[in-house]
Amino acid sequence: MAIYETVVILDSLLPPKEIDEAVERFSQIITENGGTIRKVDKWGKRRLAYEIQKKQYGFYIAIEFEGEGNIPKALQSEYNYTDSVLRYLTYRYDKHQLRAMAKAAARQSALEISSAAAAEEASAAAQVEEKAEAAVETEVVEETTTEPTESVVEETTTEPAAEETPAEETSVEEAGTEEEKND
Amino acid sequence: MIKQRKKRNCPFTEAGIIYIDFKDEKLLKKYLTEQGKIIPRHTSGASAKMQRQLARAVKRARHLALIPFVTDFTR
Repeated sequence: MAIYETVVILDSLLPPKEIDEAVERFSQIITENGGTIRKVDKWGKRRLAYEIQKKQYGFYIAIEFEGEGNIPKALQSEYNYTDSVLRYLTYRYDKHQLRAMAKAAARQSALEISSAAAAEEASAAAQVEEKAEAAVETEVVEETTTEPTESVVEETTTEPAAEETPAEETSVEEAGTEEEKND
Repeated sequence: MIKQRKKRNCPFTEAGIIYIDFKDEKLLKKYLTEQGKIIPRHTSGASAKMQRQLARAVKRARHLALIPFVTDFTR
């Protein structure tokens, strides 16, 4: 058994419901072929670095799973069959990645142990700190009351500037494409 | 006369990186030229081991449109 990960780029124009359905279908293929899903990660809609099938954006999904070599093949045929899949990549975790994962896991467990020990100390220390915190909190309250009025003023001033910049970008892009055509 | 090249240490080993993830496009972009080419080892100082990993990560990231294959500056 090896650990694999498959990353799929779906058409970002698909309704969220259909994206969920697609994830469900891919997961089903993995489990049907004797694999176990470790993690499903939706990166969400992202801008593509270059156009794929005339599309600027894609919806990224990553599924991490454990299984045998027949699963990537099964997934591949499903991806090729599905029209809304722009790109896919299925790869096996190599020794470097597995080592990095093991190291991260070891660090995590070490942190948990230390944090558990720290929590005990903290609970004892918290009682002492509570008095000090109470004093700090009163200061914080004073600060928060003054902030909202300032931030509202700032927002109103920054908004028009934010609206202007996208318009400028599009004009620059158009100019760029025109120049390319000239070449 | 022999040209003396400045000795560089592997930037990945120094940063404690043992695996280069292709999803980390910010890291990868540091090792790409403006055109999107992979910076050679003699410039970046990466060890052979890490350069191989970097190349693989860049190629995977390019396939998934995380970083461009080429960036043209045609004017």
